[in-house]
Amino acid sequence: MAANVTVIGRTTRVHGRLTGASDLEVQGFVEGEIVVGGDVTVDAQGIVGASVRGRRVIVRGAVKGDLVGEEAVLLQDGARVVGDVRAPRVAIAQGALVRGYVQTGEGDGAPARSARAQSAARPAAARPAAAVHERAAVAARAPAPAASPAPPKVAVKPAAAQERGAAHAASGTNNAGPRRPPPPVVPALKKTKGQIAKKKER
Amino acid sequence: MASTVIGAGITIEGEITTDEDVVVAGTVRGKLSAKEGITIEHGATVDADVAGASLVIAGALTGNVTATERVDLQSGARVIGNVKAARVTIADGAQFKGNVDMDV
Repeated sequence: MAANVTVIGRTTRVHGRLTGASDLEVQGFVEGEIVVGGDVTVDAQGIVGASVRGRRVIVRGAVKGDLVGEEAVLLQDGARVVGDVRAPRVAIAQGALVRGYVQTGEGDGAPARSARAQSAARPAAARPAAAVHERAAVAARAPAPAASPAPPKVAVKPAAAQERGAAHAASGTNNAGPRRPPPPVVPALKKTKGQIAKKKER
Repeated sequence: MASTVIGAGITIEGEITTDEDVVVAGTVRGKLSAKEGITIEHGATVDADVAGASLVIAGALTGNVTATERVDLQSGARVIGNVKAARVTIADGAQFKGNVDMDV
C-alpha cells in the first residue's frame, strides 16, 4: 500500500484529530491534534491549532501547539510557532518565529541549556542537533503576529542556549548531565543583548 | 481547483468543512461537508454525515448523505444511511440500506 500524501486543502477546515501513518500536508486550517507516522508539512497558508507529532515536521505556516518530531523539526521562513518544539534535530531558519521551549537531542538528555550566546554564524557541524540562526530570525521581524515584543526575546534564550550547547559538543565538552538551572548573569549576553539581561530580572 | 485528499493511511475524527473537492481514501468519523464534489474511494471508511454538491461513493459509508446535485453509488460501495439528492444512481454491485429522498 503506497503511503499517499494527505492534503488538507486551502479552504478546508478540520475540527478534530488527525491520525495515521502516511504523510500529511496542511494548507488549510486544522484545529485538533495531529499524530502521524509520516512527515507533516504545514504550508505557508496552513494554520494548526493544536500539537503536531510526526516523523519530520516542516512548518512554513502558523502553529499554536507543540511540535514533536521523531526525527526532526524544520521551521522555515514564514513559520510562526507558539508552543514547544522537541526533536532530535531542530532547524529554525531565518524568518521563522518561535515562542516556546525548544529542545533538541534525545528526550532523556539534559536540555542543552546554558546561557552563553555565541555568534549566530558558528555552525553546529559536529552535532546535527541544531542549525539555529535565531539572531537574524528575531531581528528580522519585530512585530510577531501572535506576540508582543517581549516573548520573542524569551525565545532567543533557549534557542541561543541550544546553539551554545551544540558549539560545546563540537569542542568536545559534554554538556549533557543532570539538569542545572541556568546561570543568572552571562557576561557575553549582557554585552551584546541588553534584553536578555532584562529577561533575567523577570 | 485544488482538492483536499484524505489519504489511505489517515484517520480524521471530527468535522471537516471545505469549499473545494474532497477525495477520501482513508477514514473519516464525524462530519464531512464540502461545497464541491466529494469522492469516497474504494477502501475508504466514512462514519459521518456527508454533504456536498455531487457525491461519488465507492467505499464504505455509514451516515446520511445530502447532495445538492447528485449522488452516485458505484460498484463496491456500501452505504448505510439516508440519501437525499435531486439525482441518485445506484450502480450494480453497490450495497445500500436506507431511505432515498429525491425531493419529489
